[in-house]
Amino acid sequence: MSNDPQSRIIQVDMRGQVCPSTLLVAMDNLNRHGEGLQSGALKLLIITDNREALHTVPATAENMGYAARITKTTSHYEILIGLPDQER
Amino acid sequence: MVTGSLLLMYLLGLALGATAGFVMHRSDYCVAGMFRDFFLFRKTFLLRALALQLLLTVLLFEAARLAGLLPLFPFPLLAPPSLANIIGGLLFGTGMVLAGGCVVGTLYKLGGGSVLSLVACIGLIFGSGLYAEIHPWWTKVIQATTFQAPTRTIPQFLGISPTLLALAVTAASLPALYKWHRDKLLVRPFPLAGYLQPWKTAVVMALIGLCSYVLVGMPLGITTSYAKMAAMLERLVMPEHLAATMFFQSKPLEVVHPLSRTLLEGWNGPQFDYIWAIQFPVIAGVVLGSWASAMLLREFRPHWRIPPYQFLLTLLGGIILGLSSRMVPGCNVWHLMGGLPIFAISSLLFVAGMIPGAWLGGQIISAILLRQTQAAGTPDEQ
Repeated sequence: MSNDPQSRIIQVDMRGQVCPSTLLVAMDNLNRHGEGLQSGALKLLIITDNREALHTVPATAENMGYAARITKTTSHYEILIGLPDQER
Repeated sequence: MVTGSLLLMYLLGLALGATAGFVMHRSDYCVAGMFRDFFLFRKTFLLRALALQLLLTVLLFEAARLAGLLPLFPFPLLAPPSLANIIGGLLFGTGMVLAGGCVVGTLYKLGGGSVLSLVACIGLIFGSGLYAEIHPWWTKVIQATTFQAPTRTIPQFLGISPTLLALAVTAASLPALYKWHRDKLLVRPFPLAGYLQPWKTAVVMALIGLCSYVLVGMPLGITTSYAKMAAMLERLVMPEHLAATMFFQSKPLEVVHPLSRTLLEGWNGPQFDYIWAIQFPVIAGVVLGSWASAMLLREFRPHWRIPPYQFLLTLLGGIILGLSSRMVPGCNVWHLMGGLPIFAISSLLFVAGMIPGAWLGGQIISAILLRQTQAAGTPDEQ
């Protein structure tokens, strides 16, 4: 994924929320901010503790043409969604 | 055959529950999610694992029956078929989606650190107690809609051998199983620490169901214990009302286990009886097993800062789950993983209600989640 410092990051904290909040809210944000995400001006950062969402959210984002990167922190997982490298 | 010793029953229930909790947490083997996500997102990956579990259970139960290991067949506590199974199943399907998990799903998620699942469990106990209040009326509905033929299963109804039906179902499933194996549809690349491919959990769950049936005389089931917990709480705050409530005086379990010659007795009330000895250790075990899994992964991090409406949603879902599991009677684990594999008619009716219920729950929860998210406005930017 591109590492453009100019990109703004939209952060959504979904920790502890009822299923399937993480996937639904991720899809909602991918649709609402499609223009910014596709231009590279925006990235979406989903904070979650739902293990299943670590598969479903990146799979959905990748189906829509984005790249997703998962990082584990001491208290949760972060899924960063943005344009894939080759499109920058 | 451990029914001769209460201590052995407690230990067995704990072990089976802990194993189930551990593997379910590792695969996120959420039955409510399997049906919900089929309707919401057309996802079928986990449903395939569930189908594998059910087919394996059909074969294991039938092999055990032929080997003489299941003298109680069909198993005790299995309700006769009635319209109540479908109506209860419909409510159950909706409730499990709103609660974010079925009766076992809420337990493994609770063990994994989900605060909302704790709320759903409280709702389950409350809903089970609430059922006691409508029990006299609901009993009349059950009596009026129970199918009169004295049969519990499809083979009994058709007058054929269960072996024949088990083999026919297996033969009919083989092409699908072969395709899933050939196209690798039962596995998915998922480089997550500690992830267990769900087909493995399906195999473990089928073996756990078999162990339970062979050793204590019935497959996994836990929801009567929620009613008993409600009765225990009611005894503390309003003992007179408890004593006057017909449901809590009733005794659904009274059977001699042919192999141990033990009289298995159990009430819906607050007694520590055989129902408690069979079910409660499984409940405790599932929570402990998933907690151990989460701790080993360093992922046990209960998070309280959740939108308040979700507490209400999961509480309501839990109440509906508790209420409907007594209306059916039985839950998805009991009917789907126990009754369906022996072709119990009441379990088929329960599933026929549960599936549209899960669709309805999916529609409700997605509408609420999206409306609340959009009302909350633009997320944080940095």
